[in-house]
Amino acid sequence: MHNEVASFIDSKVSGANATVNNPENGDSSVSVDASKILEVCQALKNGEHEYNVLQVISAVDYVDYLELVYILASFSKNTELLLKVKLDRGNDNNLPSLESVTSVWSAANWQEREAYDMMGIRFNNHPDHRRILTPDDWEGYPLRKDYIVQEKYHDMVVNPEAKVNTADHMFMKKLKETYPDPKKVSGSWKSDDGDAAESEA
Amino acid sequence: MFEFVNEASEPIKSDLMTVNMGPQHPATHGVLRVEIQTDSEVVARATPHIGYLHRCMEKHCEHLDYRGVIPFTDRLDYLAAMNMEWTYVLAVEKMLKTEVPIRAEYVRVIIGELQRIASHLMFFGTYAIDLGAFTPFLYAFQDRENILRIFEEVSGARLLYNYIWVGGVWNDLTDDHLVRIENFLETFEESIKKYHKLVGENQIFISRTAHVGVISKDQVYDYGLTGPVLRGSGIDWDLRKNRPYSIYDKFEFDVIKGEGLKGQLGDCWDRYYVRMMEMHESIKIIRQALAGIEAGPVMGKVPKIIKPAKGEVYMRTECPRGELGIHLVSDGTKVPYRLKVKSSCFTHVSALGEMAPGMLIADLVASIGSIDIVLGEVDR
Repeated sequence: MHNEVASFIDSKVSGANATVNNPENGDSSVSVDASKILEVCQALKNGEHEYNVLQVISAVDYVDYLELVYILASFSKNTELLLKVKLDRGNDNNLPSLESVTSVWSAANWQEREAYDMMGIRFNNHPDHRRILTPDDWEGYPLRKDYIVQEKYHDMVVNPEAKVNTADHMFMKKLKETYPDPKKVSGSWKSDDGDAAESEA
Repeated sequence: MFEFVNEASEPIKSDLMTVNMGPQHPATHGVLRVEIQTDSEVVARATPHIGYLHRCMEKHCEHLDYRGVIPFTDRLDYLAAMNMEWTYVLAVEKMLKTEVPIRAEYVRVIIGELQRIASHLMFFGTYAIDLGAFTPFLYAFQDRENILRIFEEVSGARLLYNYIWVGGVWNDLTDDHLVRIENFLETFEESIKKYHKLVGENQIFISRTAHVGVISKDQVYDYGLTGPVLRGSGIDWDLRKNRPYSIYDKFEFDVIKGEGLKGQLGDCWDRYYVRMMEMHESIKIIRQALAGIEAGPVMGKVPKIIKPAKGEVYMRTECPRGELGIHLVSDGTKVPYRLKVKSSCFTHVSALGEMAPGMLIADLVASIGSIDIVLGEVDR
């Protein structure tokens, strides 16, 4: 099924470079070029595959790059599709951006706001581009692997010493020692041994 | 002599007034804030603001092992915790390709459907309160208590269970439990008919809900709405039927959908009706499961440390409030690399802004109640 979808995308949208990912474990997916996402989504919704529902937009931080997974479903054909785009990580002043698909499915409105809020991905031509779960003036993007929580928010200490669960710190430290790639371990607080500065860089 | 001069030659216009409903408001079912711009009693615009219960559960899950995540999933939709953990566990099992013993599957179905009844009862009670009737709430809680008591005995907790585990369930249902569930269903089937007569056929209730908060089929697909909201708009879709997971393909049951019996198709009354009738279908499923359950183990063979191979899965199931989706990414270690929860309540709240304009404030309360949200799942 994924091969058909990929060739369908390529035939409808030039430059989408649809490729099929068939991992050994788990679900297959189709990757497309980030710059063509709007055209691809329009084609998938209106074309023969009838992906009439956007289930969710899930953003994943792979440290070297970010990935957006658009999970589409067709309620008429009873199928599911994982559509992926790759994005550069960018930095605070220059967030990665791509075209919003709100015009295709209204469901994308809040899903994209969440992706912006949690992962720091900008969506061009979004009708209401604000944070959604955290306050509007929050700093940083919590689900990024290098996120470190701000120390103060409106003169309030975010993690007061007396309320910090030290067991979490211990667990994080242990995890960092045992995990194959310590960079991919993401606690959102600064640890004592200064590896916070390392992951920020 | 007094002379009245009418300076305004234009018709009188009133200014819009901004009113905040919530975050502490009984009709918002938790900490939802709806910023309403009203023209006297009529809502001109409603903007939902969420995040007051945000705990960043997805981040927490990134440093817990696969089993440790289960209690966190309980806290998403705390009124249907069994269904939440079931979905997550199914995602992990899909990744591990684990075989679940047949008895465990039956136990899961029984428990899951009981939880659906408990959750819909909660809707029934609180929705009546939203509309000004207190008695149904007490009726609903009486019956819900019977279910929670069984859950408490079998899992040790009343609301947040950590009962469905990877590979099976934690504890077996005894024969005594099965008999009690059967007895409960017998009395419950009668009382649910009574409740529907009491509330659903009540003229005041019909006036408050029929033709109110209508969601069309196109809007359903556009916003990705699921569950009773989708079926209330007359769409024949139920994951248990259309994409059966677990052993749902073994059971006979109907998909209830709204028909616009009292008003328009897709109004609040239809959504209420779908939930009430779904409880009857749940009773049917549980009865079949009770008849078909076989003796055997309830826990399959699962490695001591769960380490799924690299990959990702998306699993969705039919929860009481809609489809819950879990997008799980593994990088081959013992902690999930990324866990994304597709929450049905989240999408339902996002449609509120489109539903609201033009309705009365009291109707907005009825609409929020009818999409039946739990803020724990909206904010995660």
